[in-house]
Amino acid sequence: MNSGTYDAVVIGGGMSGLTAAITLCDAGKTVAVVSKGDPVCCLSTGCIDILNSADNPLQGISALPSGHPYGFVGQDAIIEAHERFIKIGAEWKIPYIGAIHESRQIVTPLGTRKTTCLIPKTMEYAAYDESDYIHIVSFKGLKDFYPSYIITRHGNAGHSVFDAAVPSTIGIAERFEDERFRETFAEWIIKQNIPEGKIALPAVLGIRSSLSIYEELSRRTERTFFEIPTLPPSLPGIRLFNCLKKALLARGGRLYWGNEIASIEKLGASIEGVTLKNPGRVARVQGKAFILATGSFVSGGLFARMDSVHETVFDLPVSYPEKRSIWFKETFFSTGHQIEKAGVEIDSSFRPLDGPFENLFVCGSIIARSEVMKYGCGHGMAIATGYAAARSCEGFIT
Amino acid sequence: MNFDFQHCIRCTICVENCPVFRVNPDFPGPKQSGPDSQRFRCDGETSVDQWIGLCSQCKRCEVACPYGVNPAEIILREQLNYGKKHFRAPVSRLFSNVYYLGNLTSLLAPLANKLVSVKFVRRIMAFFGISEYLNFPPYRFHAMERSWPWKGSSKRARKVAFFYGCYLNYNRPDIGRKIRDLFASMGFRVILPRQVCCGLPALGNGDLATARRLANRNAAILAQYIDRGYDVLYACTSCGLMLTRDYPGMLDIEAGKKIAENTYNIHEYILKLLDEGLLDLNFKAVAAKIAYHIPCHLRALGIGYPAARLLERIPGLDIAVLDDMCCGLAGTYGFKKKNQETSFKLGVIAAQALKETAADCIMADCGACRLQLSQLSGMPARDPAEILFESLNNVVNSSKR
Repeated sequence: MNSGTYDAVVIGGGMSGLTAAITLCDAGKTVAVVSKGDPVCCLSTGCIDILNSADNPLQGISALPSGHPYGFVGQDAIIEAHERFIKIGAEWKIPYIGAIHESRQIVTPLGTRKTTCLIPKTMEYAAYDESDYIHIVSFKGLKDFYPSYIITRHGNAGHSVFDAAVPSTIGIAERFEDERFRETFAEWIIKQNIPEGKIALPAVLGIRSSLSIYEELSRRTERTFFEIPTLPPSLPGIRLFNCLKKALLARGGRLYWGNEIASIEKLGASIEGVTLKNPGRVARVQGKAFILATGSFVSGGLFARMDSVHETVFDLPVSYPEKRSIWFKETFFSTGHQIEKAGVEIDSSFRPLDGPFENLFVCGSIIARSEVMKYGCGHGMAIATGYAAARSCEGFIT
Repeated sequence: MNFDFQHCIRCTICVENCPVFRVNPDFPGPKQSGPDSQRFRCDGETSVDQWIGLCSQCKRCEVACPYGVNPAEIILREQLNYGKKHFRAPVSRLFSNVYYLGNLTSLLAPLANKLVSVKFVRRIMAFFGISEYLNFPPYRFHAMERSWPWKGSSKRARKVAFFYGCYLNYNRPDIGRKIRDLFASMGFRVILPRQVCCGLPALGNGDLATARRLANRNAAILAQYIDRGYDVLYACTSCGLMLTRDYPGMLDIEAGKKIAENTYNIHEYILKLLDEGLLDLNFKAVAAKIAYHIPCHLRALGIGYPAARLLERIPGLDIAVLDDMCCGLAGTYGFKKKNQETSFKLGVIAAQALKETAADCIMADCGACRLQLSQLSGMPARDPAEILFESLNNVVNSSKR
């Protein structure tokens, strides 16, 4: 059974996979994305970390050890990829603020600062000085958001609680989509007589129309707001994912969502198609080229046994620190666990090194030595390699 | 007991995708009602989760879950378990048997349609737990089951049996007949096999026994046709999900696997033949801007969006695909008064997104989605098969019978 033939089939529907698919659609190719489920992006802060270990990510990238995936992309393509990303965000009303050569800071629900680079408009004013007054608005019954953490870290802060009649971030965000609710909320804010300063909210300002909700709230109350990303479910992450998915659908991209890959159909050094697990008849998706964007361990692209690491779709060769005894540092929260280096080695055309296939390209955190946690380069690296792998793939197809 | 729930890492992606959780705080969401609670459930134990019935079985959680947990299935099993030991509301009993209701209503069509549009009658129905916000779809006397049951000579090499389902049968037999005629004009022998409800409404209303009885009747007939070289086709995506997934799975029907392997969505089937070079179609232009609402159960089928792929070949047609909203009706779910508010809120959200596309009309494979969305948006709603028929009309002349 043939469920479709495409120029390119992207395996994995996360940041790098969707970026690659959109790039190929823009080049006039027919594209399908095959995904087992929703990506880790939905659980993220929605911010684009490009290289958090440097004040100027762009400069920092050139100082990275050789072999880091950014090195294969090259500076111009990194800039181009992010410019395209910002354009897509604006197109779907999720505008991103910031520039690739400048790190920015946002506030976490613990009141600590997180370094990142591109941030959603709703977090634009998240950076504040010691002397600034910050007023935190939380919601009655909302779990996993504790203003007192933030207040103990930043003395000059106040706190009020609004009763939205629902106790979850998703539920509150849905209520913000309703104009009457926004009106009530704005009136309540005005009545609070909050001292001069910024107002911080957990990230609940809408699911679909966060930008207009944010702007309307600022206008109605004449105050400056910013969102603080929450623990999952994370609205800024969902908005980012929905934005990329919509952008892909609008460009004619096709989705095969919710089923794992059952088998690979190959002919010589070429992959012809993949079949998808289904209780009934398996679906078959064919392509001239394939892009592997299944992510690292959390997303299931890599799988670790006691003493070895495997790539889960094509069983590609994986490089990883050989002895398990050096995989992990002593404490969980320390950065630079050696296991983070595990992944698929690539060549300059984003094909797996020593891989058996000529029409397979790789992008995202499954690439060896990306060390996303150590360098703080999650979404940025996904966008850059997704774009670059798509470009290389495009050259192969045509 | 199935232990797949232990794969859950509590990432909340299912919660992010649950339409009911978004608007109804009484429902704890698929994570809590599925894998989380499952750890405390034992085989043979009476269910105490009163809220379990708030799940509409849209299956969006299953499609979204990246770890292979099936929250909706865990919940469905618990809904059935709950239904076994607790009093089932009359409205649930009624909707379990919606097929027989359709059967009767169709016979009395003009009278029944008049009756349910009378305010006073709706009041009485509301008293028995039926929602008030939606108009009932009109029933037709000239149902599919009273249509001419075959077309095309039995000597034709390609044979299909069309499982039209209750909605096309009783409410939109005109679309059903178009599909029959379309396949006949493409050179198929088309049979409308004797059939009853697929059983999905019974399953959704906590009545496993009725679901199994209906499924067994259908399976016996469909299996016979498959053995004689027929492929089975469906247009309704919920019937399709039931036939291909729950017959071999949840209901464990003997011929289930055979049916799942030989049953196709109509658009998927045409695409397959086009890809294999067995069919050559001359699509005529249809000038329209369409907002395609992807039904939740089409997503759950895991076959991509075949109607979108097929219809993009029609010149002049501009299709915007929207797949991240549930219409909220979920078959009989929204017709129950206790779910009225949830269904209405979700319907308004989905209708708003469709209106924002500035399309001329809505398209959806599922009759329930069309019913809800067209009433709440004021836009006309069409089945993709109708548009396909319009484009291929040059090769087809539909007959009344």
